[in-house]
Amino acid sequence: MFEGVEEFHRPANVREALELLQRGKGRARIVAGCTDVIVENDSSIRTLIDITHAGLNYVRRRGACWSIGAASTMADLEDSAEIRSLAGGLLARAAATCGSVQVRNMATVGGNMANGSPAADLATPLLALDATAVLAEVGASGQSKRKMPLAEYLAVARSRALANSLLVEITFAVPTAGTHSGWSFVKFGRTAVDISVVNVAAGLQLDSHRHVKWARIALGSVAPLPVRMPKAEALMAGRAIDHGLLAEVCASVMREVHPIGDVRASAEYRRELSRVLTGRALEECAANAGCSL
Amino acid sequence: MKTMELRLTVNRQARLWNVAPGEILLNVLRREGYFGVKRGCETGECGACTVLFNGKPINSCLMFAAQAEGAEILTIEGMAQDEHLHEIQEAFLDHGAVQCGFCTPGMILSAKALLDKNPHPTEAEVREALAGHLCRCTGYLKPVQAVLAVEVKS
Amino acid sequence: MNNGPSVVTHNVRKVDGRKLVTGGAAFTDDIHLPGVLYGKILASPHAHARIKRIDARKARELEGVHAILTYKDVPRVPHTTAGQAWPEPSPYDTYLLDSKVRFVGDRVAAVAAESRAIAERALKLIEVEFEILPAVINMEQAMAPGAPVIHDEPESTKIYDASRNIAAHILREIGNVDEGFRQADFIFEHEYRTHRQQHAMLEPHVTISWLDPDGRLVIRSSTQVPYHCRRQVAMILQIPVSRVHVIKPRIGGGFGGKQEMLLEDISGALALATRRPVKMEYTREEECYMARSRHPQILRMKMGVKRDGTILASHMKVLATTGAYGSHANTVQGNTGSKVLPLYRAPHMRFECDVVYTNAPVAGAFRGYGCPQGFFAQETLVDEIAHKLGIDPVEFHRKNVIRLGDVDRLSAQLGEGREGLPRVIRSCGLPECLDRAAKAIDWTRKRTALPERNGHIKHGVGMSCSMQGSGIAGIDWASAFLKMNEDGSFYLQVGASDVGAGADTVLSQIAAETLGVTLDRVIITSGDTDITPFDVGAYASSTTIISGGAVKKAAEKVRAQVLDLAARMLDVPAADLDCANNEVFSPRRPGKRLSIADVAMFAMYKEKLQIMDGASHFNTDSPPPFCATFAEVEVDTQTGQVRVLHLATAVDPGVAINPMQAEGQVEGAVTQGMGFALTEELLLDEAGRPRNANFLDYKIFSAKDMPKLTTILVTTEEPLGPYGAKSISEVPINGPAPAIANAIYHATGVRIRKLPMRPEDILRALHDKQMQPGEEAVLV
Repeated sequence: MFEGVEEFHRPANVREALELLQRGKGRARIVAGCTDVIVENDSSIRTLIDITHAGLNYVRRRGACWSIGAASTMADLEDSAEIRSLAGGLLARAAATCGSVQVRNMATVGGNMANGSPAADLATPLLALDATAVLAEVGASGQSKRKMPLAEYLAVARSRALANSLLVEITFAVPTAGTHSGWSFVKFGRTAVDISVVNVAAGLQLDSHRHVKWARIALGSVAPLPVRMPKAEALMAGRAIDHGLLAEVCASVMREVHPIGDVRASAEYRRELSRVLTGRALEECAANAGCSL
Repeated sequence: MKTMELRLTVNRQARLWNVAPGEILLNVLRREGYFGVKRGCETGECGACTVLFNGKPINSCLMFAAQAEGAEILTIEGMAQDEHLHEIQEAFLDHGAVQCGFCTPGMILSAKALLDKNPHPTEAEVREALAGHLCRCTGYLKPVQAVLAVEVKS
Repeated sequence: MNNGPSVVTHNVRKVDGRKLVTGGAAFTDDIHLPGVLYGKILASPHAHARIKRIDARKARELEGVHAILTYKDVPRVPHTTAGQAWPEPSPYDTYLLDSKVRFVGDRVAAVAAESRAIAERALKLIEVEFEILPAVINMEQAMAPGAPVIHDEPESTKIYDASRNIAAHILREIGNVDEGFRQADFIFEHEYRTHRQQHAMLEPHVTISWLDPDGRLVIRSSTQVPYHCRRQVAMILQIPVSRVHVIKPRIGGGFGGKQEMLLEDISGALALATRRPVKMEYTREEECYMARSRHPQILRMKMGVKRDGTILASHMKVLATTGAYGSHANTVQGNTGSKVLPLYRAPHMRFECDVVYTNAPVAGAFRGYGCPQGFFAQETLVDEIAHKLGIDPVEFHRKNVIRLGDVDRLSAQLGEGREGLPRVIRSCGLPECLDRAAKAIDWTRKRTALPERNGHIKHGVGMSCSMQGSGIAGIDWASAFLKMNEDGSFYLQVGASDVGAGADTVLSQIAAETLGVTLDRVIITSGDTDITPFDVGAYASSTTIISGGAVKKAAEKVRAQVLDLAARMLDVPAADLDCANNEVFSPRRPGKRLSIADVAMFAMYKEKLQIMDGASHFNTDSPPPFCATFAEVEVDTQTGQVRVLHLATAVDPGVAINPMQAEGQVEGAVTQGMGFALTEELLLDEAGRPRNANFLDYKIFSAKDMPKLTTILVTTEEPLGPYGAKSISEVPINGPAPAIANAIYHATGVRIRKLPMRPEDILRALHDKQMQPGEEAVLV
């Protein structure tokens, strides 16, 4: 395990981290909580760059815009009063399901995204929040920042295209909070502490006549990456929220997902869970929005 | 094999070790004689390797030793003060919470971290704190009862 | 004087507890041996293959490699790895290293090197050319004509029919089942399936072997069976038993997975080859498929009953697989019949079984030892019968279960692979177990209240009964030795293996009680073949009753020596003396008393006599502990997920020597039972490769998954056990799977006959039921 590693660095800032990454010529690896990196046991790594002391552990808010430093841990999110207060506590709730206490004390938001897993529990609610990934890079003109929609980042997280980039922050804006909006995160595991078999993050806002102003639905572990459900979301816009609508929406979700069967569950079961859990998530959103079905 | 210096505090004592850059903290701790830190799965699932890292429970099998530079680590060997066992250790013995004892050091450390932060936890909170400690012997009931008993006393 | 025992039946702290809570260096790997090498096994990537060519030259040249062993370098001695008394009933079909591999994970070669990393690199440098053979993974295909023959080697013995891959075949009958079925009013028959469960003990198998300064092979190992290991290693490495020394330190759990000689032979061979200490430890991944697991079974269960619910005949037919080698093949499956069917007083019983080889991970001993599978089938069928006849399941059990004074004749037919001895029930608390557990779960009210019809969450309650054994009659035996120290303390030396359950504590309690001293006066050493006298080891729920029996006998002899000496010191007949609380005294002559230490000093320095003695013990019967398990569950009918809300277990272990430890055994056993029922399964692909060899995907219960647990100990007095004790460590594991399956039926009307009962299986069964209302949905 990692006998081939020749250097370990703990840079004090992003600039240093980027320099080390470049010097590493493709055999350097950014690490933080290491909960995925060590398990993966990639013997080609020669340089470890620990970014837990590079100033990337923070939760900031400017108006409606939030930024979370990539080295913030799941435990940080769970414990943060601000994170617990936004979007019905959606992110705090999802963070609390990311493994045991020990894992949550180490695992980071950045690591959860960079791992590129379809089961990344924090990715699903961040997609529902239309989050943006902020990367730091070194180019011809020095250090720069690049932003891309989180969905796009997840698709290229493990590719060579980002070999000299460092994910530094996730940002998002919470859609107008206030009355008649509700959020939910639902995760299904085989036991209480488990990787997601299916997870759902949802949010919606109603007008005073119980019609849906907007809805966001994201699912994890039902496709190669966590995904939004645009067709299902479009079905909801402007409609009165009732059991009939939910049944339609959940049926649409069932058609939109393309899960695989694996050692944890069959594709058929994941499809069925998509339907059932989306329904439960949306019911909870509606209830949080003041409208019990 | 290139090594690097690692300075940290273990059980309130300053330590200076030579480690390989890719060495795992669990292996270094056991190499240095901290046998109470156990190897159960090496993938962060069982919790037998748990130590307190700046007061927080972590799986030492999922940390590079070098990441512990400047940190304060508590292992089970640091719980008792000379002859006197910690309250949690006494509670585990009194409640029959110890069978084979392999998961015990990790559980006791996580219980300490919990009680340091939350001196009066509910049963659900205790179970949450112990959820990352797989145990095949006890069914968890007596360990949970032991931790709850400690909070009542203190 | 004292009424009641002063040490046994008390909840004393574990005698090894302090070192366990302080992380003391007490386990096998908790030592630094200078010059230790790391041993690793090159595992076969193929389920079935011959080694055509194996060349370790490049690997041997790697710096830091000290030895590489292939089949060409070691003696070829057929043996079994099963930790059983000699002559082991299991087939002798295993070789230290062989030129054929029979499952993915089988040994191809072994390496000893200066570090784990070098050993792993060396494995990759060993060049192997395999002739891949067709493999049979599915047990239902193993006996088919034309199936690949897994054991075609001539040297193997005790295989029932190697040409048809049948490791063992069992057929036993009492009465005449055909006649019984003819007399029955109703006949019920179904098929049940159980799966590969892992022990998943927290401490993987680990062994360190070295040569001591006298050139003897020392083996320090996490084992339940130090003496069997010693004998088997000596045989395999062809050295005398006296030149092997096995030490068993603290063990991080065994559950039967360490009732096996697994790494001792190969690490011993590497130690001999390198003349250095060699440590071998399985990774968790290796532990999952290169160790042992529970025998998967397909059980066909048929019962004939009278209209009033009396069981007349039961017929169980089992197909099981032992994997690639026959370790425990006939004995585990023998138990499936002998311990399960006689729970009921049916006059006609028939048990037949084929245990086949497959090119799959090897099965072995696992807590319950064939009973969890059998009770799942029997107790689920019985629930169905009770339902069909309109009889409450608890009443059905009361009517039919074995009783005090009964003779179990099926056991007479099925011993450890040979004719057993008839079992007489001399203690039976099952009726009280049923009463108290039913009450704890609130059975009557919850059973008759209609399961929740609104909403998608349904509730139900279900129950099961089970029994086990306490030691193997006529075969398990133990011995103990005591010697006195000048301060009035005693060293107790037992071969018994404390694997974490608390044997050292219980045996110390028995010794202290019998000697008349407080517990702190007994210092125990266990499981060291140089120091402690023989014990078969920790299995078959034998330690308290058999090892404890030996301890009691030895302590009685030593106590007599103490009293004889005290008699001379006090000038009082020994018959007038008693010993309690570290004192010798005369009940009728208050002035005549001595401390035990006084007696010791007198013995050692006046009489020049070491007070010491030992004893051996075995039983000719195996008194069963009894268990009643009641489960309350909640089923989410939209996802199929089952949550156990409450599990109430009442056990009759005879007299519990340490009730707190006994409860702990129950709680741990039922947790494994719930995993067996709901979440645990080692999965293989079509090529026989493991799919979930890790804790990420082999799911065991955590503290957050647990239901409310109620544990009830029902005390009976067993004449064959020390202070009335029987056993407790296995029987509770049998209850949860059928109790939960029966509760699921009560909640949803769906019968599950295949384990584990995963959410998607239950959901599929619920959907099938909806499609065909009125017809019972089953999942087989």
